[in-house]
This record gives sequence, C-alpha cells and structure tokens, in this order.
Amino acid sequence: MTKRSSLFALSRRRLLLSAAVATALVVANTPGFNPALAADSPRDGGDITFLIDSLGDTWIPNNSAISSFQGHIWGHVTDKLLYVDAEGKVSPWLVERFEQNDNATEFTLHLKNGVTFSDGEPLDAAAVVANLDIWYAGRKNEGINPIGLFPKTYDRAEAVDAATVKVFFKKPTLGFIPTLGYHGSILISPKSIAQPASEQADLSKTAGSGPYVVESWKEGDHVTLVKRKDYNWGPAAVGHTGPAFLDSITYKLVSEPSLRVASVQSGQADVAYNASPQELKSLKEEGYTIATPRYLGFVNGWAVNTKIAPYDDVKVRQALQAGINRQEIIDTVYTPDWKLPTSFIQSNVPGATDQSALLAYDPDKAEKLLEEAGWVKGADGVRAKDGKPLTLTLHSNPYLATSKSVDELIAQQLGKLGWKVSIRAYDVVTYGEKVKYGGPAIPTYEVTRSFIDAGTVAGILTNANNGENWFALDDRDSKLNDLRDKIAGAGTFDERSPLLNDLQQYVLDQGYFIPRTQIVQRIYVQSPTLKGEVYNGVAYASYYTAFIAD
Amino acid sequence: MNNAYLTYAAKRLGQAVVVILLAYVFTFVVVSILPGDPITSVLRNPQNGFSEEEIAEIIAAQGLDKPIIVQLWHSLSGFLVGDLGMSMRSNRPVSTLIAEVLPSTLILASVGLAVAMILAMLVAYGTRFVPKRYGQGLLRGFPSLFLSVPNFVIGLVLIHLFGFQLGLFRVINPDSFWATLFAAIALGIPISAQIAEVLIANLDKEAEQEYATVARSRGLGQARLFARHLLKPASLPVVTVIALTIGELLGGSLITETVFGRTGIGSLVQRSVSTQDLPVLQAIVSLGAVVFVLVNLIADLLYPLLDPRVKILGGQKRRPTTADETSIGPSKAVTP
Repeated sequence: MTKRSSLFALSRRRLLLSAAVATALVVANTPGFNPALAADSPRDGGDITFLIDSLGDTWIPNNSAISSFQGHIWGHVTDKLLYVDAEGKVSPWLVERFEQNDNATEFTLHLKNGVTFSDGEPLDAAAVVANLDIWYAGRKNEGINPIGLFPKTYDRAEAVDAATVKVFFKKPTLGFIPTLGYHGSILISPKSIAQPASEQADLSKTAGSGPYVVESWKEGDHVTLVKRKDYNWGPAAVGHTGPAFLDSITYKLVSEPSLRVASVQSGQADVAYNASPQELKSLKEEGYTIATPRYLGFVNGWAVNTKIAPYDDVKVRQALQAGINRQEIIDTVYTPDWKLPTSFIQSNVPGATDQSALLAYDPDKAEKLLEEAGWVKGADGVRAKDGKPLTLTLHSNPYLATSKSVDELIAQQLGKLGWKVSIRAYDVVTYGEKVKYGGPAIPTYEVTRSFIDAGTVAGILTNANNGENWFALDDRDSKLNDLRDKIAGAGTFDERSPLLNDLQQYVLDQGYFIPRTQIVQRIYVQSPTLKGEVYNGVAYASYYTAFIAD
Repeated sequence: MNNAYLTYAAKRLGQAVVVILLAYVFTFVVVSILPGDPITSVLRNPQNGFSEEEIAEIIAAQGLDKPIIVQLWHSLSGFLVGDLGMSMRSNRPVSTLIAEVLPSTLILASVGLAVAMILAMLVAYGTRFVPKRYGQGLLRGFPSLFLSVPNFVIGLVLIHLFGFQLGLFRVINPDSFWATLFAAIALGIPISAQIAEVLIANLDKEAEQEYATVARSRGLGQARLFARHLLKPASLPVVTVIALTIGELLGGSLITETVFGRTGIGSLVQRSVSTQDLPVLQAIVSLGAVVFVLVNLIADLLYPLLDPRVKILGGQKRRPTTADETSIGPSKAVTP
C-alpha cells in the first residue's frame, strides 16, 4: 500500500491499476502509448537523481539482489518472470502463463517471445533454467551465494522447447510461483552468470533484460542508468509495456540524511531515500510527495525465546503482548503513515487475517497476568519473584533506523507495569555476531523480514527442514508443528488459508511473537514534478513508468 | 653526493621497508582478532534467511575458517609479489578499488595542502606586519582556533553556506571545482594551524637575528625584509612539518570526504572498516605507510640539499650547532 500526500496522484494510480488489466493487450501492441496515464500525459525524456544512503557491498547479482539499496538498481536493470504488486497479487510478466500439477511439485512456465538481454542473448528457456539453477545453488566456493529464500525443495528445471520450462520440486512448493516475483529472482544473461565472481562483481559487466542499462558506475559513489530503447516487455500490471519515459536515472550516494532531503528541497535532486520519519509531516506540508510503501513480510516485532525465564511462562508472554501500547508508538515515533499490526505478518500479505483483538493494549490484563504468574510489585515499582526482578533486555535492530526509539518508548510502557527493561544497541557486525534467534542472552529477537509467500512462514518459525526455530521451541509445541506440516503439505490456497489463520491466532495467543507496528523500511521523499512511479511487493520504487510533469 | 649521504639514504630506505611490513602484519592481526567479517555480516542480514549451517558452509568454502596464521601467510605472500588480493566485501580486486578512488584523494589532498600553506603564510605574515592595535594578538590566536574546530564542523558550515545558501556548488556533484575547493578549505584549515605555528615561531627567532637587525638598519621595508630575508630560513623546519602533516591529510580526508560526499581513499576506508574488509584495509594501511615513509624520506633527503648548513655525518643527519657555524675552516665531524 502506498500513501501519498497528493490525492490526485492516488486517484491516478488507482485509475492506472484498474485500467491496466483491461488495456494490457492493447498496450502490448502499441509501445510508447499509454491510455492509463493519459490524464497526466507522460512525456518522454528527462533525467532524475535519486539520493541513497548506501550502494551496498558486492554487485554479484545473487548476493545483492535483496539489498535494500542495490535492489533499486536491479529493479530497473533486470526483469522477473512474474510481477508481484504491493497487495501481493501475482500477475504475468516474462512468464505469460503457467500450469502446475495437483500437489504443486511440477510447474510448467510459458515464456514471452522476443525478449533479449542487453548483451544480445535471448531470454529463452535455457536462460531461465540457468537462472533457476544459480538461485537455488549459487557457486559457494566462488563466493556466489544461493538466494536465501529460494525454495530448498527445488529439484531441477528443464527446457522443453525455446519458450517452455518445466520445473520439478521434491515436495509440494506452493511458494514457488510468488518467489518468481520476489526481489531475489532477477533474470541475468547466461553469459553474465557464467562469468567468475570477480567479473560478476563489476556491475557494468552484468546484462539484464530490464528497461534500463548501466551507463556508468563507481563503487560507493553512483550508478547511472540509461533507458533501453528497444524495451517492449514491461509487466502489464503497471499499465505500460514499452520503453521507459525517463532518459536516465542516477543513483547517487549521499550518506548524510539531512543532506539528502535538503538537496531535494533545493531542487538539486528528485528523490531522497530514507528520510527520518519525524521530517515527513513538514515535507508533506511543503508539497513534496511522501511514499511509505509496505513490503510483504513479517511486521516489526519480537520473536520470544521460550527457553529463557521468565519467558518460558505463557502468562508472562501474554502480559508482554497486552502491555505494549502500539498506538502510542505510531503517535510518538512514527506518523499516521505507519499502521497498527493486525497479525504477525503485514496486513497486505495474501493470507493475513485480522487478529487485532489479540493485540489490544490492556495494561490491567497485563498486570493481572503477571500477578497470576507470581510476579509481585516491590517498593521500587519493579516486580520480582523468588527474589529475582522481572527483566527484559532489548537488542535494537540495526537494520531499522527507528528501532531504538521504539525500544525506548516500550521500555517506559513496560516500566509502568513493573518490568525492568534495558536496551543494547550494537552496530551491524556486532549485532550479527551476538544477537541470534533463541540466543542464550536474547529473550526477544527483533524481526524485520520480508518473505515471498505466507506458506513459508510456518517453516521459518519451527526447526523443521533447516527452519530458524525463532521461538527456541525445538520440537516442544506439537500444535505448532502440526500446523507447520499441514501448511507445507497444502496443495491449494483454499486448503491453506484456514490453516494460516489458525497459525496466526495460535502464535499471537501464545505470545510467541510480539508485534510492534507494521513495518515501513523504505521511505521516499520525492519532488512534486516527478510522477507516475510504481511500488512493488517489496516496496521498491520503479521509475519505469515515471515521467516529469511540466 | 658523498658516500655518507648514500649510506644514510640506504639506511632510511631499509627502515621504511620494515615499517611498511610491520604496518601490514599489525593491521592483519588487529582486524582478525575482532569478531566478524564482511562475508558473514552479509549472510547474517535477516533478509537473506540463511540458516547457521548454510552460513558455516559458505564461510568454509571461502577459506575463512582456516587458522589466522595460514590466512596471514597467504595474504602476506601475495602482498610481497605485488598482489593485493580481492576485496571480501565487493569481490573486486583491491588494486582496482584503490585505483578508482586514488585520484580524487590526491586532488583533495594537494589542494588542501596548498590551501593550508597559503593560509599559514598569510597568518604568519599578519602576525609580523599587522599593527598590534589592529589585532596582531588575535592573529596569533588563529592557529589554536583552527586546530580546535573539528574539520567536519567547518565542512558542514561551508556546505550549508556556500552549497545550499549561495548555490556555488551542488552537494550531489562533489567533484566540481567549487565543491573541491571548499572541501580542500575544510581539510586545509586545521593543517594550516600546525604549519603557521612553526612558521610564526621561526619568524620570531629569525627576526631577532643580527642579520635582520642589520637589514632593517639599512632601511629595508617590512615586506622586503619578510620576503627576501626572513621567509627562507624560517621555512626550512616547515618542510619537516609539512611532511608530518601528510598523515593528517590522509586522516582528515576520511572525514572531509564523508562530509562532502566525495568518493576517495577516505570513504573506501570508512566502508572497509565498517564491514571489516581485511584485504582492502591492509592495502590502504600499507599504502598510507608507504606514502608517509616516502614523504618523510624525501623531506630528510632534501634537507641537506636545501640548507647548506646541514651535513650528513656518519649516516646521521644533523643541523650543526652554533659552534660549527662560528668555526672557520673545512667542515668537520662534531660529536653531539
């Protein structure tokens, strides 16, 4: 979901989306003409500058495709087999249609004809097989990682003919289709894939099939993209399939947040990425377009370690669930652009159900639960049991800039109920070393994670099949394991949906996962003259459809 | 060029090589004992969703699980034959990374040094020739002031004043003429302070010398006295100070580059430190050591050529004492 300051832009986007389906066929045959955008009359030409806080590390496609920073560039340089919009709706892109068998172990993909990579190679069945193989396996000894969230159940893929690919899985894998629209699944020319890691790390040597190609880049400085004039295979869902309108997009690294915003305000740049939430209200009033799209994934919240006392006690976990005033977090740290959580997955994920009742702020209930669990308030206001104080150590997530502010607010809220909360903030490297799910000194792990398909969630929460065992339950909760197995084995969405609902209700009721707010990890501040951009299911802005209005 | 000079030069060169090797090994040990490395920190990004087993497998495939001494030997043997290795963070050759950013830093450092020298000269001139009632004392306070204001503060003030208010340069185009000049000013101001202090002290000393009094008594004007007589002898020690400020220039460029958004050695160091990219850090520390040692070597080797009073005695450089200057006859070794 995208929130913007301009009502006009919002209505135009709605028009664009609804018109997209109806006009997809017409548009496909008339590149450059776009009736859906006619109201704003997109104009060819123009160059924009996007100020970004980092350009990430390596450019090896597999290792960088899901980066919050490099993902922006990959989104313009490469295409995907399917398109996933901000509501999680999957639609055709380079795969025109697909079939799957009854138990979701075999899929047949039918590819669009005439698509080429920018190095001249055809994007045919053989190219798709090469991509599927490297997403699944990587080349670990060379330093090319697999795509972390690609289904581990992948067996093999075969090119039936030039435009047909057959994909086999060892177990039912409903998540495969949404995976193809995920940010990790970018299509790279087989020639580029065959290059050694050191060549793949040079962005200019990697060819994609996207609407833009890399003109120049300098590590830690900038990437300049120019449009590909023969591009003619955009996703119908965005209402435009011909070449892009803007001539060039320059992603320029400016690490200081205030300089990024000030540069847009002074007209020196068009988009500033990751402004601080506190600035958004005044920027909106000044007329800038503010976008806070949500990705498909988990909400921001805690996975509770059930091995550490007192969080092994369901009553203490439930007290934690009821003792957090989530509305106050939005009012204090964020702006109304942020949303209350309704489950432990974002509300725009297909399959998410509304569990708000379990997340209501009820301090009386929390205090009552703590009393029942034997935690008695002492003279200093801190609760204790058997001489031990009720403590909670929070480790602020370094991947989310506002994490520490939220922690501080929650510490105050829980403090009133008798908790003694301490907060630790580590840098990314130390955090990665010390803070892990279920770690011996980690009562709560703060989650920020997008995912492709709600069906993969249950596997992550438990320890089955390399699962991440988020709550350190191991095999102790048979009900959770049962739900996990049923969800993994479901062959259809109809069969899976009620199971997913049960899972959400159970995990929240048990206090295994404590949601804080729905997550907005990407904030865009945009010049009012730039219009027509589209946000996809992982909240990246695409300027493929964007143009400069006079 | 006599034998003593050559021996002296050879000895200094040998010391330089040892310093560079020690810097290399020291960096390796320090970074290695810190927890974490760029590959694991990328793998541990929660978005990736790798399990502990997968992370361990990838780490082993990269040879990062080998003992530190084996890794050190591997990288040192490469370094000795001129192979700087591959960056663990970006997977590109370290030499390419450095070659990409070096020109920007060289430009910034040389313009910064020029700014520092001009500024120091102006301040030093001012302390002699601005009348007391017009703030000579104030000028003498300038070096301490320059030293005490951090250069990122100077940088941010310059950016807001000249970049955003006056629009002289665009923040997003930091390699333009004006942006480079203002970055160099931010970098040069603290460095000018050190040069100015030495220059002022030496001017004061030289002005009290008899030859200055004689020159003045012959009716020489202030400006001519400064330019013709005082400046040259007073600036000799400045050569040493300038050589020492090379370290500051490299260190200061780290902050200045970050503030001004320039992509140079400084920003490469910053990215490499934050991700513990060992091969890049080792190469840059060694490069820094090479530059520092080389510049000081050049300064030391130049000294005897600039100042005829400096002699090389038994492989030691020294400026003769007053006793030598007053002694008449061929130069002779003097025991210290």
